[in-house]
Amino acid sequence: MNYRTSFRQLRKISQLVCLLFFLFLFRRTEYTGQDTVSWTVTFFFQLDPLAALSTMLGIFQWSTFFLPAAVIILITLVFGRIFCGWICPMGTLLDIFHRFVPNAGTRQINFRYLKYIILMTVLISSVCKVQWIGFVDPFCLLVRGMTFAVDPLMHTVVSNTFGTVYIHGPAWLSGIIEPLYDFIKTVFLPFSSAYYHLVYFSFLILVIVFLLEFFSQRFWCRNLCPLGAMLALVSRVSFFNRVPVFSCRYCEKCMTACRMEAFNAKAVMMKEECNLCMDCLSYCPDATTSFRFSVPGDRAEIDFSRRQFLASGLLGITLPALAYTDVSGKQNHPDVIRPPGALEENDFMAACIRCGACMKVCIKNGLQPLILEKGVEGMFTPRLVPRVGYCEYNCTLCSQVCPSGALEKLSHEEKHSFVIGKAYFDKNRCLPYAAATPCMVCEEHCPTGEKAILFKQISAVDRQGNTIELKQPYIMEERCIGCGICEHNCPVEGTAAIRVVANSSVEVDRY
Amino acid sequence: MERRKFLKQISLWSAGALAGIPVLNLTGTLHAAQDDHPSIFVATGKAYEQMVQDLVERCGGMAVFVKPGDKVVVKPNIGWDRTVAQAANTHPDVVKTVVKLALDAGASRVKVFDRTCNDRRRCYASSGIKEAVQSLKRSKVRCEYIDDRKFIPVHIKNGKNIQKWEFYKDALEADTYINVPVAKHHGFSRLSLGLKNIMGVIGGMRGRLHFNLAQNLADLNQVIRPDLTIVDATRVLTRNGPQGGNLADVKTFDIIIAATDPVAADAFATTLFGLDPSRIDSTVAAYETGLGQMDLDKCRIQTV
Repeated sequence: MNYRTSFRQLRKISQLVCLLFFLFLFRRTEYTGQDTVSWTVTFFFQLDPLAALSTMLGIFQWSTFFLPAAVIILITLVFGRIFCGWICPMGTLLDIFHRFVPNAGTRQINFRYLKYIILMTVLISSVCKVQWIGFVDPFCLLVRGMTFAVDPLMHTVVSNTFGTVYIHGPAWLSGIIEPLYDFIKTVFLPFSSAYYHLVYFSFLILVIVFLLEFFSQRFWCRNLCPLGAMLALVSRVSFFNRVPVFSCRYCEKCMTACRMEAFNAKAVMMKEECNLCMDCLSYCPDATTSFRFSVPGDRAEIDFSRRQFLASGLLGITLPALAYTDVSGKQNHPDVIRPPGALEENDFMAACIRCGACMKVCIKNGLQPLILEKGVEGMFTPRLVPRVGYCEYNCTLCSQVCPSGALEKLSHEEKHSFVIGKAYFDKNRCLPYAAATPCMVCEEHCPTGEKAILFKQISAVDRQGNTIELKQPYIMEERCIGCGICEHNCPVEGTAAIRVVANSSVEVDRY
Repeated sequence: MERRKFLKQISLWSAGALAGIPVLNLTGTLHAAQDDHPSIFVATGKAYEQMVQDLVERCGGMAVFVKPGDKVVVKPNIGWDRTVAQAANTHPDVVKTVVKLALDAGASRVKVFDRTCNDRRRCYASSGIKEAVQSLKRSKVRCEYIDDRKFIPVHIKNGKNIQKWEFYKDALEADTYINVPVAKHHGFSRLSLGLKNIMGVIGGMRGRLHFNLAQNLADLNQVIRPDLTIVDATRVLTRNGPQGGNLADVKTFDIIIAATDPVAADAFATTLFGLDPSRIDSTVAAYETGLGQMDLDKCRIQTV
């Protein structure tokens, strides 16, 4: 193998290693038996300069969470968009998927400028404290889609298959396949099945990104990805250049085979579109192409007109303004219980990149994505839904995996006193109040050392007309941290008789 | 004979060979099976492992309970995500020693499990019980998480309040069932002792049981009758039970109790809290149902 093809092999190996590493980190993003988690999928978000920039613009301060992203910028300054071609797991998955796309030759569908518009819109909006990155960042789409849909789907299919055999099949068969089930569970599946809101929607976004491959290879990366756009802008001044910058007139093989379609109408390579896949090295029949370090010289014009630039600026201003006028700007939704460690609500909304890592790691599956309670801009931000799962008293995992600092890291002691909401009784539903029926499940589960739920001994008349001694629960509000275990375990069917509401009152302050 | 038939029904039902729900019928057998003057053994000290060994020895030795080849279930309380010092779960050393004795007696398989209240993984880890059992490095013992597929509905023919509830298959099928509860305060039922520990082997909405909890516990305890009960009162949660969290609420008693009569074990443990057994409704209900003796004057209390 000569050195020309070996670069391509090297790129493929790098892609595969990065993808496997990503999947490994994704699988590790759950409780692993220790109070702290390390090596989680958060790492990939920390590599993401777009997430870094939009978060820092949103909360208007430096954040050290994203130091690794600076390394990516430096690499891009030297080599160009090598991140897109060699590292990005979304790109790798698209490349793999593309192998299965029939007749994948249809070309000339390019909207390269769209990604710049998206990038500008996201960044200008985040200055206005409105965060759109969750809808467009490739890692956000990927991790959320995998967390909400792919993972639960796999878990359901596998556990239902084995479960059916276990329950309805003969015992000897279960004896054979149960060890296999154990193996699959421990190696490939999350510990327990999780349930999420917005499953279909998250899955649909991911599916669309993949289906775009039917139009052209890496359609997403070329035309839509704002992270690609950001790296493209940086790569314009990088030192690693293809020689020659044009496609030879008599051959043009590299131009037609280019997966990024990086050559413009004049057959000149647009450097910022190249993701350095190194395919053209091996295609070139004369072996004349090469990549070399040189001072960036003449450049092909960027596919982003002044008019488009102005349009994205306008969009970047208009969308946040529209978001401000949503009713959530006037009245905070009482069900939006933010996870422990959350910044003040407006900062939280600006800093949260909607990556879904906190919801993935939540040990009781209690963190769920917001739907429209905070308008479109609040979609996919986390909230606790106690009836689905409560906040485990000694667990601080969500605050550990948050890549953007929207959730501040909490020690055990800080977690124990971090108030996310307050519980209240619905005495029309609560059994000891409404039906003179003994019940004390909420008090039993209340985890604060000095319990926030107490009870008083009273005598009441039950439904048969007998006077009985009864314990009735009540809340010591200053002790309640809003973990929701009471609401989760309340035996009253449907809506619980004890409920947690968000304690944050909205401050309309976006300045 | 009823118990044997019942066990057979369960294995047939879970193998899919029997359509009807297994029925536990204890008509007439309850009182006859009981010793009216049960022995209660009490050990005091700091060497918990040695104390457990001595207690089992005084109960006749593990060989009385575990025959070679038996399937054994050791059922501790692992209900809460609390540390050993916080006293909400059974002490890991007590559990470990019971498991070890069962294995040494020739058990073919020992299972340790509990249906926890907090996250199961956190409870197993924080309680120290998983680590303690694994530290034995014996292949025949498993500290397993509950498998939700294994709950089997059981008809309780003698049940006053509950005629049907789901029970964990492994607990039903065990040849020997050793109950290893922790004695602690409980806001609702005053104390949580051995009879309450059955909550960890049943399915369904457990919160529903709080209405008339005492009789419910008595009904449920008819299904799974521990061969041996070892009550851990080494360190005891005296307030804010059943999960506590405040070390100030924990008192050191350094006491472990063993009895074959589950009601007698609970009755004696109650006295450690300065209460009369008659004040614990579940003890009274279990006694009236015929599950054991609660009158300590009729028990042979022996210190070890």
